[in-house]
Amino acid sequence: MDIDVRIPDSSRAAAADFGDGSGVSVMAGGTIMMNLLNSYRAQPSKVLLLHKAGLSYVNQDGSTVTIGATTPLADLAGLPAPLGPCAANIGDPAIRGQGTVGGNLCAIASEEFPVGDLQGALLALGATVRSTGEGGERTEGLAEFLSSGGSRLLLEVSFQLPAAGAFEALRRPHTKHFTPLAVSGALASDGEVRLAATGAASTGVRLSSAEAAANDPSEAGQAALEDVTLADDALASAWYRGRTLPTLVERVLTQLKEQA
Amino acid sequence: MKAVGARLPRYDAMGHVTGTTQFVDDVRVPRMLWAKMLRSPHHHAAITRMDTSRAEAMPGVRAVITWEDVPLLTYGHLEALGIPADEPLLAKDEVRYKGQPIALVAAEDVDTAMAGVDAIDIEYSERPALFDVRKAFDSDSAQIHPWGNWYPHFEGEMDRRKIRKGDIDEAFEQADKIISGVYRPAAIEHVPVETQVCLAVPESDGRLTIYSCTQALYFTMGVIAAHLQVPLNKLKVVGGTVGGGFGGKVDTASDTVSALAAMKAGRPVKWRWTREEEFLASSTRAPWHMEIIDAVTDNGWILGRKMLTLHDSGAYARFSPYGVTKHSFHHTGAYTIPNLHFDGYVVFTNRVPTTAMRGFGVTSISFAVETHMSRVANELGMDPYEVRLLNANRINDTSPNRIRYTDPSTVDVLQSLAGAEGVQLEGAYAGMTRDPRSGDLLPDHLVGQLKTEGH
Amino acid sequence: MRIEVNGAGHNVTSPPLASLLTVLREEMDVTSVKAGCESGGCGACTVLIDGQPRRSCLTPVVTAVGSEVTTVEGLGTPDSPSAIQQSFIHHYAMQCGFCTPGLVVAATAYVNGGGSDDLDSVAEAISGHVCRCTGYNKILEAVAAAVKSSEFDLSSTAVDKNTVVIKTGGAV
Ligand SMILES: Cc1cc2nc3c(=O)[nH]c(=O)nc-3n(C[C@H](O)[C@H](O)[C@H](O)COP(=O)(O)OP(=O)(O)OC[C@H]3O[C@@H](n4cnc5c(N)ncnc54)[C@H](O)[C@@H]3O)c2cc1C
Ligand code: FES
Ligand code: FES
Repeated sequence: MDIDVRIPDSSRAAAADFGDGSGVSVMAGGTIMMNLLNSYRAQPSKVLLLHKAGLSYVNQDGSTVTIGATTPLADLAGLPAPLGPCAANIGDPAIRGQGTVGGNLCAIASEEFPVGDLQGALLALGATVRSTGEGGERTEGLAEFLSSGGSRLLLEVSFQLPAAGAFEALRRPHTKHFTPLAVSGALASDGEVRLAATGAASTGVRLSSAEAAANDPSEAGQAALEDVTLADDALASAWYRGRTLPTLVERVLTQLKEQA
Repeated sequence: MKAVGARLPRYDAMGHVTGTTQFVDDVRVPRMLWAKMLRSPHHHAAITRMDTSRAEAMPGVRAVITWEDVPLLTYGHLEALGIPADEPLLAKDEVRYKGQPIALVAAEDVDTAMAGVDAIDIEYSERPALFDVRKAFDSDSAQIHPWGNWYPHFEGEMDRRKIRKGDIDEAFEQADKIISGVYRPAAIEHVPVETQVCLAVPESDGRLTIYSCTQALYFTMGVIAAHLQVPLNKLKVVGGTVGGGFGGKVDTASDTVSALAAMKAGRPVKWRWTREEEFLASSTRAPWHMEIIDAVTDNGWILGRKMLTLHDSGAYARFSPYGVTKHSFHHTGAYTIPNLHFDGYVVFTNRVPTTAMRGFGVTSISFAVETHMSRVANELGMDPYEVRLLNANRINDTSPNRIRYTDPSTVDVLQSLAGAEGVQLEGAYAGMTRDPRSGDLLPDHLVGQLKTEGH
Repeated sequence: MRIEVNGAGHNVTSPPLASLLTVLREEMDVTSVKAGCESGGCGACTVLIDGQPRRSCLTPVVTAVGSEVTTVEGLGTPDSPSAIQQSFIHHYAMQCGFCTPGLVVAATAYVNGGGSDDLDSVAEAISGHVCRCTGYNKILEAVAAAVKSSEFDLSSTAVDKNTVVIKTGGAV
């Protein structure tokens, strides 16, 4: 069966080709999509390839950073914590050079393992997402975007540079498809502390109980266990995640304190 | 002696670094077809209906191979040694593990072969499946084979590999302590970076050239010839360049079916497994269940050992009986225990069949024995080096299968290990040698170990 | 669609979303690029795209149009191996060799990109590659050594390929 492949040359053309999204599969870096095609797990009839859509950029305007959807992960490495170190922790050089921000955020959560390492860092940064699809363009918080089911075309994400930021992850001996557990933290310029975890559950989660206890890193670490139902999969057992989550939270908060 | 101590080259290194080494998948022949396999989606089921006619009628499909196309359906690697086989090349009316091969489709390209596989109509009736070797061992478990869940063909049609040495009852009567442990290492996938792959080419003179990734070329040749019921001179098997095997490519996994497809289609056929197939259906190292019960004295001697080993063979026997035999010979590890009672079973489960992997049958027992030695030392409150050195194999000690050791290295290895770890051994242990036992190192219970050989 | 591979152009006949791996191997017979998993997990299919390491199994061929694709064949030949290829030979950084072309390609990108000889950073550079045979240490050593020197003496390791070295004492 022939696939209708669209290669839009601008973001407007991409939005037009995407329409309301029905029947369209988006491919950015392809590091997830190609695996699905190679193994016959996905057999799309229409594919929208984004590599020429002009969505690869990192812009800074004052304290506002805006990142285009097809920006490769490698291009984030120089950004401050938690985003820079989080991106640098993904995969290996080849995956970071090819995988994109949009593909990472929009990767479909599976039952097999959690996805989307960047979700944690960008949730902690309170990022907003500009997307297009049914009802046209709109901008919303990342959490709302993620909970709306991922049927939209992500165009860009924006956030305010934090006063302090930190990222901690379980060390991995070798490239795994996803980080088994990572915690991102950011201290916003208005003094608010935001914490989020990835790898703990199928999508990134805000750790609000831990945030409430942020003044005492060790207590906050324990509190984080109330914020999430821990995944139990081939990368790590729920038991292991439960033992390590408090430590990562504690380390992140300690670093935020030291920086502040 | 120029070779000893010299930096010798790898003769194949230049080919490897420049990408010019030719692996099976790299061989190019014209008019080649690609093959894909229909594999069982169930761990255990009866096949109630199968119809390949839709697949056969598809444009681009050149051959569909099922059990009906195999001249000798059931044959095994050990049959040459007189050990009956139990595994059909392609499933006939039942499947016993998820991923078991059922029907191969050879077509002009991979997509068509895949579509052909999808077009095979098949129905199953699922049966209960067993995954734990200890549960499968129980007599009231669901039966995987008509003859039950134990492999029944050890020499003399015994249902287990038995070792009896010395007087085990006497050993347990004399013991100060009984120390037991259960050890269960899990299955391990070999994960060669080159997955299973074969290219079978029909030649104009009626012979077949088979490019194989096998680790055991003559085994492979014999197995293919037997299934195909052709003389060996009809086969030219080209091997030698293996992209990693580690034991897993001792099984003839892809060659025979590819050969059948090439013969039926009259065209070269390549069958390369996906990584997923490799994980799902290629053989693994076996999971084991080992129970050790030792009769020990307060001063650290192991007088006797009772042991039960269950080797998880997966759904079919393959080389497992051989693995258990090797395992039984090593079940005292690097130590001398004169009184033994060992029963080792090959037990069927609905896991993928298991096979050789680096130290077939012996790595499991080494893990169990060494862990158990530390447990013995711990329970006696003794130094783990001392317990080991006391019981270490020495010249003239005998193995479980009554081989006299002439060159045992346990003592030397333990002493260097202690040195490397910075452990200071007590005088008697530091000065110990592997020389034949005498004096304090020849306690009563070991005096008789050679005399009991006839038992 | 036309792609450039090792300096030569090629008109692609496969569909646009075919993987670059499939096009290289099956259309162009560039067989150094290995299909170890076709899912991104092993690194055996690694090529350079405009000098950067990429998994060819995850690259739709249409996205390589307009870029320069380099495989290990384009880095050195048996007659004139590159420094990294020499270093792999000199350090015995291979056994079966199936992972080797991908590793040589990734190592080349790392060294050309100014990578250091620090073993942790070499390990990060090749962390997407699976080698089941060597245990990795010799590979790390080979890459680190190639950071420092550009030539390796292969004469100590140059023996006639047909010489049976160990078995016939007389031959050596
Ligand atoms: C070996 C390996 C290691 C990896 N390691 C990690 C890791 O450590 N952490 C991690 O998080 N991920 C990891 N990944 C997964 C993946 O590479 C990254 O998540 C990457 O960022 C995905 O981006 P992509 O552009 O390649 O995605 P694609 O494959 O192009 O797309 C992924 C999904 O997102 C959708 N999508 C893409 N762009 C958009 C858009 N703009 N709008 C809407 N939907 C879109 C696609 O439709 C698809 O469903 C790994 C993958 C591999 C193969
Ligand atoms: S084949 Fe591409 S990473 Fe394994
Ligand atoms: S040398 Fe065999 S996989 Fe690396």
